[in-house]
Amino acid sequence: MSNGNMKYKVYHVFQHIFKWLLAAVVALIVLIPVYWIFISSITPSGELFKSPIDYLPDHPTLDSYEFLIQNVGLLDKIKNTVIIIGFTLVISTVICVLGAYAFCRFKNNKAISLAFGFIIATMLIPEVVTARPLYEFMQKVKLYDTYPGLIILYISSVIPFSVLILRNFVSEIPESLEEAAAIDGANFTQRLFYVVIPLMKPAIATVCIINFINCLNNFFTPLYYSNGIQVLSVAIVQLPLRDNMYGVPWDLTSAMGWIILLPIIVFVAIFEKQIMDGIMAGGVKE
Amino acid sequence: MKTKKSMLVAAWLLIIPVLAIRAFTTVYPILATIRNSFFDIRLLQGKNVFCGFENYIKAFKDPKVLTSIQFTVIFVVVSMLFHIILGVILALILNMKFKGQRFLRTIILIPWAMPAVVIGMAGKWAFNNDYGLVNDLIRRFINPNFNYSWLIYKDSARFAVIAMDLWKDLPFFAILVLSGLQFISHDIYEAARVDGASGLQCFTRITLPLITKNVATLTIPFTLWRLTSFDLVYSMTSGGPGEDTALIAYRITMEAFTNLNTGYAAALAVMLFIVMLVFTGINMKIQSKMSD
Repeated sequence: MSNGNMKYKVYHVFQHIFKWLLAAVVALIVLIPVYWIFISSITPSGELFKSPIDYLPDHPTLDSYEFLIQNVGLLDKIKNTVIIIGFTLVISTVICVLGAYAFCRFKNNKAISLAFGFIIATMLIPEVVTARPLYEFMQKVKLYDTYPGLIILYISSVIPFSVLILRNFVSEIPESLEEAAAIDGANFTQRLFYVVIPLMKPAIATVCIINFINCLNNFFTPLYYSNGIQVLSVAIVQLPLRDNMYGVPWDLTSAMGWIILLPIIVFVAIFEKQIMDGIMAGGVKE
Repeated sequence: MKTKKSMLVAAWLLIIPVLAIRAFTTVYPILATIRNSFFDIRLLQGKNVFCGFENYIKAFKDPKVLTSIQFTVIFVVVSMLFHIILGVILALILNMKFKGQRFLRTIILIPWAMPAVVIGMAGKWAFNNDYGLVNDLIRRFINPNFNYSWLIYKDSARFAVIAMDLWKDLPFFAILVLSGLQFISHDIYEAARVDGASGLQCFTRITLPLITKNVATLTIPFTLWRLTSFDLVYSMTSGGPGEDTALIAYRITMEAFTNLNTGYAAALAVMLFIVMLVFTGINMKIQSKMSD
């Protein structure tokens, strides 16, 4: 008996070691490149061009960041990104919550369910297929390279996912709650704003968090529908070469990369649970 | 009756904003693309004449497009193969019960949340011969004299692009596989154990069928995203060396925005869209079969 117990214990210890080993391998594969981007961004640009890589830089410096602020207009690009994403999140959340509510409560109406089907079906349309005509159209209506134009396109890109998730969530709110409120004399608007929307808070938070990340990731839209208004994701591919002769401005790229990565890492660490829920609920990203 | 009608009006008022924005960015552009695909439009030469199926026929004789199609097929097939194999393994790792589970799940979200362009730019430098991360690690741990310029040669450049695609996207795939595993109630395992099933039997009879079902539903959407992948190649290789890593979405965009062959680009886009529709059709068939 004690022999069996012993065997069981040894098996358990090995199982434990094995689990941690697997976890360590996965964590390292993710973290080493991220760490490497970070140390590259604080290594003096001259020292980047040597081999082997110095994983603990001898002369850490914020020189690359300073250069980005003074010569590349980093603060301006952060401002653009914040403006566009901020407006996108606020407007898209409002219209998607309202739309999702109507799509759910009136799903028996043929035209409305058709409209819902249309929105979901447009998820399939890739950006490259619509890009050129949309680009010409945006120029014609003077929305090209403007904040409103970009915000409309960003909003459009998050609508299908948001509507889908929010509609599913509304369908879990029992209609009897609203009926009870109606008996108490609440009208349509009151029921929506005082009964339904407060209950939707967790779903709204999840949708906003996922949309924030998707907007930060958006590259095609700001690359082809704007020129003067640069956001961070576009700025990183259009950095100038500083004094090195090597084809890639890795000193500035890594610093810019880290500027984008830092909020993402903080965000992911805080909202891990909501992000997981959101991904699993939607199963859709773009 | 009257209230019902006014309710319906209210419903439409709530729907119109999302519907209008979505229609504005899709309906007209799609129709315009289809129309343009039958016209010979070359903005640089001021040309705009009807040409029937000429653009479509031209595509199959264009070596650049053929290379793109070839790499796109390789990219999709190889990447999806590894998605399925490594994605399932990663999902099982993320599902392990141990103290580091939450930490690991947080870490794994970083690549998912990172813009593909950042990964592409990092990839471009990571696969650099002299100063890149990849060769540095190889020199440290495997062969101190290792020298290789990954992005200069066709096969290794293609390998590098696929590797970066996997680095970014495997976590996403794994989380979605995992989402199915979490719904298996513990009771089922318990009951199987009581009935005398071994650990391996539990895995092959309970876990694996569920994973298979999940993977089957995920494969097509992930394939569609690979078919339209643009950011990574744009930032990492610009389609090079030559045209060897120019995915079809990259090729179309270059024709539309750099070479300004609007009509030709439209024809390529329409063909890509048709392929995607076919995959979607297959997907719907699979879905309806599985729900039976």
